[in-house]
Amino acid sequence: MRPENYEAQRQPPSNEFELNFGPNHPGIEGNYALKLKLHGDQVVEAKADGGYLHRGFEKLMEQRLWIQNIALVPRICVPDPSPMELCYSMAVEQLCGLEVPERAQWIRVMQLELSRIAAHLFTFGGHAATTGMYSTMYWGVADRDLLLDLFEEFTGGRVYSIYNIPGGVRRELPDGFLQRVSETLDYLESRLPDYDNLFFKNQVFVRRAKGVGVMSQEQALAWGVTGPNLRATGLAFDVRRDDPYLVYDQLEFEIPTEESGDAWARTLVRRLELVQSIRILRQVVEALPDIRGPIRAPIPNPLAWNVPAGEVYTRVESSKGETCYFVVSNGGPKPYRVHVRGPSSMHAVQVLEKMSVGSRIEDIAQTMFSLDACPPEVDR
Amino acid sequence: MSKEIAHWLDNLLEEIEGIKVRRKSSRRVRVDVPADALPALLELLQGRAGYIHLSAISCVDWIEEEEFELVYHVWSYESHSLVSAHIRIARDPGVYLSVYDLYQPAAFFERDIHEMYGIHFEGSPNMEKFILTEWNGPPPMRKEFDSEAYINEHLSWQNYNPEWLQELIAEGGGIIIPPEEQRFSQKKK
Amino acid sequence: MSSIKQIPVIEEKRTNPLARVFDELVRFCRSRSLFLLHYCTGCGAIELPPAMTSRFDMERLGIQPMVSPRQADILLITGYVSIKTLKRVILTYEQMGSPKYVIGICSCTVNGGMYWQSYATAKKLDEYMPVDLYIAGCMPRPEAVIEGLQQLMQRIKTGEAKGWEDYYRNYDYYLGNQQKLFGNDWQTPTDVITEAKHYDLLGEGTLGEHTALLEQHQQPLEALEMRLGHQVKEPAE
Repeated sequence: MRPENYEAQRQPPSNEFELNFGPNHPGIEGNYALKLKLHGDQVVEAKADGGYLHRGFEKLMEQRLWIQNIALVPRICVPDPSPMELCYSMAVEQLCGLEVPERAQWIRVMQLELSRIAAHLFTFGGHAATTGMYSTMYWGVADRDLLLDLFEEFTGGRVYSIYNIPGGVRRELPDGFLQRVSETLDYLESRLPDYDNLFFKNQVFVRRAKGVGVMSQEQALAWGVTGPNLRATGLAFDVRRDDPYLVYDQLEFEIPTEESGDAWARTLVRRLELVQSIRILRQVVEALPDIRGPIRAPIPNPLAWNVPAGEVYTRVESSKGETCYFVVSNGGPKPYRVHVRGPSSMHAVQVLEKMSVGSRIEDIAQTMFSLDACPPEVDR
Repeated sequence: MSKEIAHWLDNLLEEIEGIKVRRKSSRRVRVDVPADALPALLELLQGRAGYIHLSAISCVDWIEEEEFELVYHVWSYESHSLVSAHIRIARDPGVYLSVYDLYQPAAFFERDIHEMYGIHFEGSPNMEKFILTEWNGPPPMRKEFDSEAYINEHLSWQNYNPEWLQELIAEGGGIIIPPEEQRFSQKKK
Repeated sequence: MSSIKQIPVIEEKRTNPLARVFDELVRFCRSRSLFLLHYCTGCGAIELPPAMTSRFDMERLGIQPMVSPRQADILLITGYVSIKTLKRVILTYEQMGSPKYVIGICSCTVNGGMYWQSYATAKKLDEYMPVDLYIAGCMPRPEAVIEGLQQLMQRIKTGEAKGWEDYYRNYDYYLGNQQKLFGNDWQTPTDVITEAKHYDLLGEGTLGEHTALLEQHQQPLEALEMRLGHQVKEPAE
């Protein structure tokens, strides 16, 4: 494309112009686009444009066996894949009436919390990068890698673990694994003050992020926002506590909240959740050696598995909000319908559109990263 | 506490005609209503029972019965329970009312169902395409849309069948259960 | 064309004895300063931040992310490309300045991967643009990505990575596949044929039935006069 091929045309004098923000843009999270109408550098109107990551998961899942879909579901949310696996597995278990052994439930909690820490480190690293603080991003990504090493050790996959199957988990933990989890947690805890000094107490970040992308609690409830974004407006709602699954009702943890509902509060809630996740993991590490037994319930031949007819709605708290699966079976070897409700489908589309209006161009990246929008969940 | 609420909810739901309530577990309630009673039900749930969070709207295509099933999942932050309201609408012409004025998140789900199933929601703020803006085919999630036939027509891909695998299969090894049998395990039934 | 090995390698004949030395120097320099385009087309992009940052540190090989396609050398296709993305990818590829290299990361770029049944993703990337290197895996580890990039550096140094020349020489083939997928009115604002003439890479496959089809509906792109100062053309009334 050569510039001389373009004919500049005279426009009526105006300060308004349109800007395509993405999909190929470093300020956008993933492959996603916003069409902005600007007045000067202020956004007048924003329209989200998705579908760049559309793969037709829901259609694909109708074409494959129940067990084959286990490999498919983690791909729906790339930074935090474990809740997707669990949500689907739980749906199949409830349809079949499978009882999951206790040990498997504790291992699943461990996997979920490790995944949550990894996702949060990645997200606030990304948020730091949008305010120009690349060191935090470098640290966050490097520390996340330690967790990925743990994942690799006990599931075999760095990012997509494909570890949960209906009925339990695939493998027993390796020898001495809990010791290594505990060491990694020690290290992470020792890093938190460093993160505070580098990022959370940093005036550059505080001044940039305070007052950006504000939503009140009423707005958040009306817009259907869940997860850390809702908690940043002051409502202590967490699926883990209020609609408990696995063994979360036996674990002690708090639900951190913030009041102001802006980009700063949202990122701070993630930082506080890291502490709670570490606390949960410590309890799991302590309890797991005493819980013996099988790691999965016997399931029929997975290649000829007809799941009883029925429908079920399962909910799991992922790092971004409530992840839900609506699974319908007609008694056949494949799902009749699987509806994936990714948490980002709320805050990455309507909420982002509404919150961008009135902000300046340079704050849009911050708004998007602090909301933790995950485009593959929206597009599916 | 939760038992009281459950009892109170059951009484509340009896106000609507033609309703079938099934309690599936302590936090899940399945409700079947006629299609025209759904807005009244949701209004009741939202206004009087505190079900203010619309978790999702799911659509199921029952092609043999010529019907679409729409499922509205609403959650109450107070009583900690989830009501799934099921309705059935005719597959043709596939038109229903929007619940946007009750629940704002409905805009996204209705838009999604519109492009994936072709159901039109009257009164929804935005029925433009979002994901499939550059798609010219039929709504892809409908059961009659055969995506394998579509890709065989428009795209090319290769079956992975290298020589070394053929040799293995000739010796009786390789993939023990051929994919055809896996996929049509239904037939044996 | 569809496989890398079929790309014809054309021996250049230079009379100046220093030309060969100079070419080698240029290729060496090119291979040591590569800019990756920062475009996450699919899920494989999640392994790029670890590869770029402290732990695996791609920068020690002279590879850095770059935000604008104009200044980038490498287009990383990280995973499946949905048809909507593929249009943007082709647009981006044509905007990049030559020489440019394409790396297909993840199994999905090779043959559709696990999405072979999906109506929304393109299956074989090399039907739509020449690919210099594939890194298979779902998803390849950062070590694999770096290994692949090192191989690409080696191929640039020896002058084997010539996918971009193939795009000019066989433009008709690629355009035909693009038209088959996007419809016959597919057009990018880039004038590939003129560029091919500029680089002296007009091959037998550059022009053909598909480019003829393109010319039928293409709005002619006329070069403007070079003028000093900022003058704008009055809109035609």
